[in-house]
Amino acid sequence: MSSTEIVFDNVSKFYGEVLGVNRVDLHIPPGITSLVGPNGSGKTTLMNLMTGLVHPNSGVIQVRGLSPYAPEKLMKIMGYATQYDSGPRGATGIEFVSTGLLLFGYSKTDAQRRAWQAIERVGLTAAAKRKVAGYSKGMRQRIRLAQAIAHDPEVLILDEPLNGLDPLVRAETIALFRDYGAAGRHVILSSHVLQEVDVFSDQVILIANGMIVAEGQIKNVREEIHEHPSQFLLHCKDASKVASLLFAESHISEIKLAPEGQGLLVLTRNRDAFSAALERISLSGIDIDGVIPTDENVDALYEYLIGGGR
Amino acid sequence: MNPAQQIWTIARQELSRVFFSRRSFWVYLLALFPSVIFLGHAVEASIQKRSWSRGRTVSAEALNRVQSGMTDEQVLELLGKPVNDNTRRNRPRRNRDVDPEAERQPEVRRYMMYFDGKRRVDLRFEEGKLVSRNMRDLLNFEEDRKVYAGMFQFFYLRLGIFFGCLGIFINLFRGEMLDKSLHFWFLVPVKREVLLLGKYLAGLIAAALIFGGGAMLSFLAMVLPQDGNEVQTFWQTIGPEHAFWYAAAAMLGCVGYGSIFLAAGLLLRNPIIPAIVMLLWESINGFLPDVMQKLSVLHYLQSLCPVPVPLPNDMPALLKMLLSPAAPSSVPSAVLGLLAVTALVLFAAMQAARRLEINYGTE
Repeated sequence: MSSTEIVFDNVSKFYGEVLGVNRVDLHIPPGITSLVGPNGSGKTTLMNLMTGLVHPNSGVIQVRGLSPYAPEKLMKIMGYATQYDSGPRGATGIEFVSTGLLLFGYSKTDAQRRAWQAIERVGLTAAAKRKVAGYSKGMRQRIRLAQAIAHDPEVLILDEPLNGLDPLVRAETIALFRDYGAAGRHVILSSHVLQEVDVFSDQVILIANGMIVAEGQIKNVREEIHEHPSQFLLHCKDASKVASLLFAESHISEIKLAPEGQGLLVLTRNRDAFSAALERISLSGIDIDGVIPTDENVDALYEYLIGGGR
Repeated sequence: MNPAQQIWTIARQELSRVFFSRRSFWVYLLALFPSVIFLGHAVEASIQKRSWSRGRTVSAEALNRVQSGMTDEQVLELLGKPVNDNTRRNRPRRNRDVDPEAERQPEVRRYMMYFDGKRRVDLRFEEGKLVSRNMRDLLNFEEDRKVYAGMFQFFYLRLGIFFGCLGIFINLFRGEMLDKSLHFWFLVPVKREVLLLGKYLAGLIAAALIFGGGAMLSFLAMVLPQDGNEVQTFWQTIGPEHAFWYAAAAMLGCVGYGSIFLAAGLLLRNPIIPAIVMLLWESINGFLPDVMQKLSVLHYLQSLCPVPVPLPNDMPALLKMLLSPAAPSSVPSAVLGLLAVTALVLFAAMQAARRLEINYGTE
């Protein structure tokens, strides 16, 4: 197996009778990879399998040539920021990061130095001596990230790392991911919002119900998404006139009246063409008060990808 | 960093969590309970001694001259004013038909208590004549040592250390699973076996200090209030050996029970189940064949206790059977046997630790 990739070979994981992931085959190259899927789809299970926190019922996993059954080797090259805080109770930020470093073999001085560097990297220096228990959600995300990067790992795994971050910190965090990815390291992160990660990911793995439904470079996945029919709610006074004009467009699959006379619900297979059509209708003098996407969420996309379209 | 350094680093990091865990705070109560009892006994004796010495203490020789049949006036003349002097007039339980006048002549009972600085003597007079003399030491070292031995074997080893180790060791892994913090240890470059030994060492240090310290504290609370000469003789003869073996038995109890409950915390979610199974196993150990008896922690610990505890003859048969110690082993074989059982259990725990998964959702 490749010593530069993360490899899942026919991996299945069940929690009792509940499916975690099923027959997963993956070859993840270095760079930024996003695992995207709705809640309960198996993203965290995949991450836990890579890190050895859970073990597969069948199949083999290798992380850059190392087995998750050998934490003494694997964890030297891996940092994992989970959804849960993992540090001594009552610890300050600096203690939270430096405590674990002692077990990497660093002296107390080195551990402190590395902890300070990591904390500086995530922009938490001012709060480093405050207790983590008093941190906001976003600060906790950042201190967990600092903990994961403090030993300078080759593989960085992050469970929903952008949750709760304000736009400025989010941009800084994404820049950090890009630095790591550009250095030939693995950055694997999870999200349930595709639009959140597709701008900076090198590859995306879409997962639903424990199965991989799409994977590859982001542009390939985007093309698949592009063909996904989208539904919009149009607020307009003359609904029948707008409907008749839209029916003439080839990309429109369905038009129906919205409940309580809110306007029209329109299903299109081509967002760009739909935008152009709306522009033409507006220019012809027919008022369109608002356009609201009603299914622009990842669940609808999975429904499409799994079910083969509507 | 070699495994031994990793074990020590883990143990150091775990120690404060083990010592100050809110979940196992009651462990301190179990460890200190015997000390409280013996301190209470000592304080009570000290208060009584001080209080009675404020009155007139009499000499032991004068006390010994008191004979049955002496009148209360003769005793007062011989010993002087007592520490306590109570008179009661009881209605006699005589048959009215035989002696109708008896009801009008109540029986007079007088109780006097004297103190010679060490012993208290209770004298009971009926109709002015001494009918009973009860003399006992305020503190009886021989008796207190037997009481201590009984407390140590029947409470401290069987319940105190047993449940204390349950509270400390079962939480080393299970408690962190409940706190959703166990992944911290699984995400550092340490073998699971090393992690297990580090946590075991932390639990062992804490338990040994708490229960070894508790055993010593209660032992001192039993010994120190005794008569100075007796205490000096005790320390010059068998005292240090007794103190050592009580502490050693307490600490080795932590070694054995600790390994079992650490393994139980890895294998089972509900701590009640291993506790009940283990308690039953230890209780019926005396009935088991010789080979099976060797798989018990209590069997070895009882062999290390320096003072045998005689069970009272009037004890119910079933209770007597449960409390009777199994055939004792020699001290070296008891220590080695206990360490062998511990090694076996820790090996099984290591296998379980290798397979252990983080699954907070189902906890």
